[in-house]
Amino acid sequence: MAELAAVPTVGGVAEDRIAVATQWQLIWWRFRKHKLAVGGTIVLVLFYIVALFADFFAYVDPTESEAQRSLMAPQPIHWMDEGSFRPHVYALKGTRDPLTFKRVYVPDTTRKIPVTFFGHGEPWLLLGFIPTDRHLIALEGAKPSEALFLLGTDTHGRDLWSRLMYATRTSMTIGLVSVALSLVLGVVLGGISGYFGGPIDTAIQRVIEILRSIPTIPLWMGLAAALPADWSVVQVYFAITIIISLIGWTELARVVRGRFISLKQEDFVMAAELLGCSKSRIIFRHMVPSFISHIIAATTLAIPAIIISETSLSFLGLGLRPPAISWGVLLQDAQNIQALVISPWLLFPSIAVIVAVLAFNFMGDGIRDAADPYL
Amino acid sequence: MLAYIVRRLLLAVMTVWAISVLSFMIIHLPPGDYVTSYIASMSASGSAVSEGEAQALRQQLGLDQPITIQYLKWMGLMLQGNFGMAMEWGRPVSDVIGDRLTLTMVISVAAIIFTWGIALPIGIYSAVYPYSFLDYVFTFIGFIGLAIPGFLLALVVMYVGFAWFGANVGGLFSPDFAEAPWSLEKIWDLTKHLPIPAIVLGVAGTAQLIRIMRSNLLDELRKPYVMTARARGLSEYRVVMRYPVRVALNPFVSTIGYLLPYVVSGSIIVSLVLSLPTVGPLLLKALIAQDMFLAGTIILLLGVMTVIGTFISDLLLMWVDPRIRFGRE
Amino acid sequence: MKLMRAVIVLAGLGVLGTLAIQSGEAVAQAAAPPKIGSSLIGKLEGPTIVLDAKTFPKAFKEAPQLAAQVKAGKLPAVAKRLPEPSQLFVVKPLHEIGKYGGNWRRAFTGPADHENGNRINSIDKILTFDYTGTKIIPALARDWKVSPDGKTTTIYLRKGARWSDGTPFTANDFMFWYNEIYLNKNIVPTPFFEFQINGKDGVMKKIDDFTVAFEFPEPYSYFVAQLAGSTSIGAGLATRGGFQNFGGAYAPAHYLKQFLPKFSSEEAVTKKAKDLGFDSWVSLLKNRYSWALNNELPVMTPWKTVSPINTPTWSMERNPYFWAVDTAGNQLPYIDRITMTLAENTEVANLRAIAGEYDIQERHMGLAKLPVFLENAKKGNYTVRLDPALNGSDATIHIGNAFEADPEIAKFLKNKDFRHALSLGIDRDQLNEAFWLGVGTPGSVAPAPDTLYSPGAEWNKKYATLDVKQANELLDKVGLTKKDGDGFRLRTDGKGRLRIELVTIGGQFVPFTAIGEMIKQQWRKIGIDLDVKELERNLAFTRNGTSENQMLTWANDGSEMIYLFPRHALPVDAAEAHMGQAYARWYASRGTTGKKPDDPEMLRAFDLFRNAFGASEEERVNNGKELWKIIVEQMWSIGTVGQSPAVMGVRIVKNNMGNVPERQVNAQHARTPHSSMPISFYFK
Repeated sequence: MAELAAVPTVGGVAEDRIAVATQWQLIWWRFRKHKLAVGGTIVLVLFYIVALFADFFAYVDPTESEAQRSLMAPQPIHWMDEGSFRPHVYALKGTRDPLTFKRVYVPDTTRKIPVTFFGHGEPWLLLGFIPTDRHLIALEGAKPSEALFLLGTDTHGRDLWSRLMYATRTSMTIGLVSVALSLVLGVVLGGISGYFGGPIDTAIQRVIEILRSIPTIPLWMGLAAALPADWSVVQVYFAITIIISLIGWTELARVVRGRFISLKQEDFVMAAELLGCSKSRIIFRHMVPSFISHIIAATTLAIPAIIISETSLSFLGLGLRPPAISWGVLLQDAQNIQALVISPWLLFPSIAVIVAVLAFNFMGDGIRDAADPYL
Repeated sequence: MLAYIVRRLLLAVMTVWAISVLSFMIIHLPPGDYVTSYIASMSASGSAVSEGEAQALRQQLGLDQPITIQYLKWMGLMLQGNFGMAMEWGRPVSDVIGDRLTLTMVISVAAIIFTWGIALPIGIYSAVYPYSFLDYVFTFIGFIGLAIPGFLLALVVMYVGFAWFGANVGGLFSPDFAEAPWSLEKIWDLTKHLPIPAIVLGVAGTAQLIRIMRSNLLDELRKPYVMTARARGLSEYRVVMRYPVRVALNPFVSTIGYLLPYVVSGSIIVSLVLSLPTVGPLLLKALIAQDMFLAGTIILLLGVMTVIGTFISDLLLMWVDPRIRFGRE
Repeated sequence: MKLMRAVIVLAGLGVLGTLAIQSGEAVAQAAAPPKIGSSLIGKLEGPTIVLDAKTFPKAFKEAPQLAAQVKAGKLPAVAKRLPEPSQLFVVKPLHEIGKYGGNWRRAFTGPADHENGNRINSIDKILTFDYTGTKIIPALARDWKVSPDGKTTTIYLRKGARWSDGTPFTANDFMFWYNEIYLNKNIVPTPFFEFQINGKDGVMKKIDDFTVAFEFPEPYSYFVAQLAGSTSIGAGLATRGGFQNFGGAYAPAHYLKQFLPKFSSEEAVTKKAKDLGFDSWVSLLKNRYSWALNNELPVMTPWKTVSPINTPTWSMERNPYFWAVDTAGNQLPYIDRITMTLAENTEVANLRAIAGEYDIQERHMGLAKLPVFLENAKKGNYTVRLDPALNGSDATIHIGNAFEADPEIAKFLKNKDFRHALSLGIDRDQLNEAFWLGVGTPGSVAPAPDTLYSPGAEWNKKYATLDVKQANELLDKVGLTKKDGDGFRLRTDGKGRLRIELVTIGGQFVPFTAIGEMIKQQWRKIGIDLDVKELERNLAFTRNGTSENQMLTWANDGSEMIYLFPRHALPVDAAEAHMGQAYARWYASRGTTGKKPDDPEMLRAFDLFRNAFGASEEERVNNGKELWKIIVEQMWSIGTVGQSPAVMGVRIVKNNMGNVPERQVNAQHARTPHSSMPISFYFK
């Protein structure tokens, strides 16, 4: 890392290449040297792979409950068997200790169940239409729901690993539309405000101020209760994120407006104006591209904010609710003392949240630094 | 200049009015009213409210009137400086909020000090030594705070505090001082209880600050006057601290105005988990109970704080940077 | 082992890192494990009251600080403060005569939690139930009598009893309440249901200074129980004061007159209210009428408020004029003060209890935290007690019998066989294990077999054990024979899958949504697609009001005393009727509004219910048993798991507390923990 600090702008690329490189190539070269950003991007790709193929990474139905498997600690895969590589798990027997009231599970070491990779399990549809039954992990001679518990189980006895896979799908995707919508609104309204100025600007600025003044939690509570009751939990949540995006554009709009105001003074804009370019051409051909990087960065930073607020709202019982499966819903089970003391593995989803949020932030930072080092 | 301020003030009043309408609407979005919620909460705790009692309550509280009338009544009261009764609390809203406002401010300010105390040094270091190992480490640590959901951090910190350090569970005072009148000992007791909430509340904001400080300062350090200063042999410490840091702090000054309302509304969940006697949990409970005057007043209060904050920020900005003034006029 | 785990986690999560995992401990099993929960459920016990005036103590003692005040001339002597010796309330404490002193620390969750203190102070009810929750005993009133025709109930007050400010307590305080509060339409616009028989109002009459009669135009023999129950008329001034609607049947006339227009003028009281920030004199009265909000209100309770409930600490101190003594003549209560500290959420309250910061706490303690309570019992120096409740089902699926929005669904919800099938499709043992830690009792909605109106233990199991085969047969029988590819039954009107909605409410003592999710899984086996929908509490209750909920999960607490609190068993109370609000309105208004049920069995149940209030004790009990048989048979709501300590039944008791029962009755009408007489608790 030391040599990175020594190279101020474009690390390790020959001068002549820089001269002929396009803007995107330059961004990419600069981005590459931001190690945290690259790491973050790789992690995000992995997360979205999980989101896309959650059924493959999960090995059981995430809703299948069985009280006799309630609150089971993560069970290890035993890799070696009598000196050779033969991954297996043991069958388990559970009871409730009548004195401590905890569930107690004892492995039956006489019953080894072989673990296979890319084996057969429950059928699912690849990309929604190709039927298959391959899973990352499977068991031979037993249903995975009965013996495989990589991350333990929740109160219902549902497998936490499989739930986490499906939760990743929900949480990594549900905010995207909302972010996109905020983005469009922010750019358009901020642009109008900054480019035209005058009464339009004042009006838009007042609207922004009003919207920023309303705390979000009351808004969520009101909306969550006011949307049609026959919508499913996911529909309601999706609708709310959309409505929130109608409020969430203000931050970006302020930034875009500021950029427009300063860009208006720039020579290249004036030149375009003198050449008789239309307003829309000036805005979309000349001005927007000059801060597109900032918009991308703002987007990558808005997604983790949605992820975090999803978990917080689930905490309040306002966001996604069971039976939907999301990180927030999983963490709802972990937000109490008994989870911390008796079943700390229920906190695993928080690691997914933290990693995803960090990854988005690092990637966003990297993009911004790379595209616009002077911002 | 004066004309501008007057115009801004008028606009601010309009904005506050718009917020009052919006907040009243938000409170009335969910179906049911305070009485429904009262029946439900009594039922949940094993008690009963009869149909007759329910109707009488509605009548007494004026909940049987149309929303517009209720709003006008609220407005009328407020113009007389009366914010109405907090239904659940049986006390005037101003009393209920007043109790908690001071502590809310104390906690918020403590959190802001913590955030700044952590973020500014890290930001400066990261800008002076960009892409260094410690830049990555500090940035990483700063961002962890952003990434951990606040409620979870609060719960874990509270439990760990109790289980490992024998700290009081939640709250801002030890049981001995909760009821005591204000005294030096009580203030000391409060000071001892402040760090946990301040840290839990503050960490969420550090990343953002580090980021801004770092990029602003980086920007500044590239300017010719810094190079001149270096060339003239000033110590590196003076080169950095004398002007660039001050200039980089300018944008912070301009946001100082709405920092407070932002922290207050951002602290609702954490305050709830840590059982802090602040405005946050009050708002949440008022919303759940549909205690409309209380909830409405708090939302309005936050709104007014934001409006005033923005106003102050704008004035500060104008004072700091005349270009903006010209841009507007 | 630990390394192995780390490898898996890393392999699985990629970069997710590791978290310290508590290892799944392997505990050697004892040969014959005792039944789950039995170790923590003790013997039902409690203090008794002495009724024979001949055995009453003749000499009296008092708390040291009161003695000091007497000495200083600030307070009359104890004998002057107590009622006449023959009129005392004499308690024989559970174990021994206690000691004076101590501060009882508890949790409360805010101004809405007034029941927390009300229930400790509930001895100011006119009559009450003993520690078993079955026998009516005197409380504020010394005795009572019902006329042979059942139309008049007379109560006898304790001569010489005084309000907490020393003013004598007499029949005039009852008449003041009746004439100036209850009959004032500005204060009480609608008469209390309990103060009426078949819609006809009762009247209150003063016989002499210490005798009050309640007279009704028709026989109302059950009125005695109304006076003992947690009702508008009988629950006492503390409980039914300002927070609720000016109930309680008596009030301190000498203090409250200043807030009523009649005793000054409309302008004067309105001005007083405005000056104090209240919008009307009624609001001010409401505030001044509440013992929890107003520490100046004279009360008849053992403790009176010092720091009101709308502050971070709700504290109370002993009432120097409290009218009870123990068998040795010590004025009660033993405990000096009660300090409740505000917990903004119940998680904090539970953690503080675990830390040993509360002396006795049964409210807000969660059953799911039981292992944590037990783990820390030694460190926190407390004992954990479980008090199973008497009601049949903590998570009851109330069926919206008056639901109409979807005719197809409505048709099936109204079909008894369909309801039976749903009930038979639930595996209650699973629910009990996962959500009640195995300590509940799976069964129907019927109350515990040893309660007054229980039709017998067999009714607790009726249609309430898993029988997938029979459930499927019943569903086939009602015409739901066609299934889709996933095995779910199809609607008969050709509009796809039969999807039923179960509304749940989050954030309650019992995890309704989680239970609903598990039932959803179980009903897959009978081809029923259940849609579990968690709604915000207000929304769910509002939808009830318009009969929009197909099914809603809520408790059926209190239903064991079906005549005192019928709303969770039958749709007869329009304030809360999960089984058909329209029917409840029809019943309550005697057919003038709402909708008449088309189910003849429901009409029969209504008749049985209505007729009981004027009936003899024997007839009423028989009626009650018959009612429960109808309710179980007709299954207007489906029971799951009950008779459990899930609500207010997990009790944390510090080891230095004396006279605290091993088990107390956990029931609404018993005003738990009031029935254990907190006045006799003490610090050892």
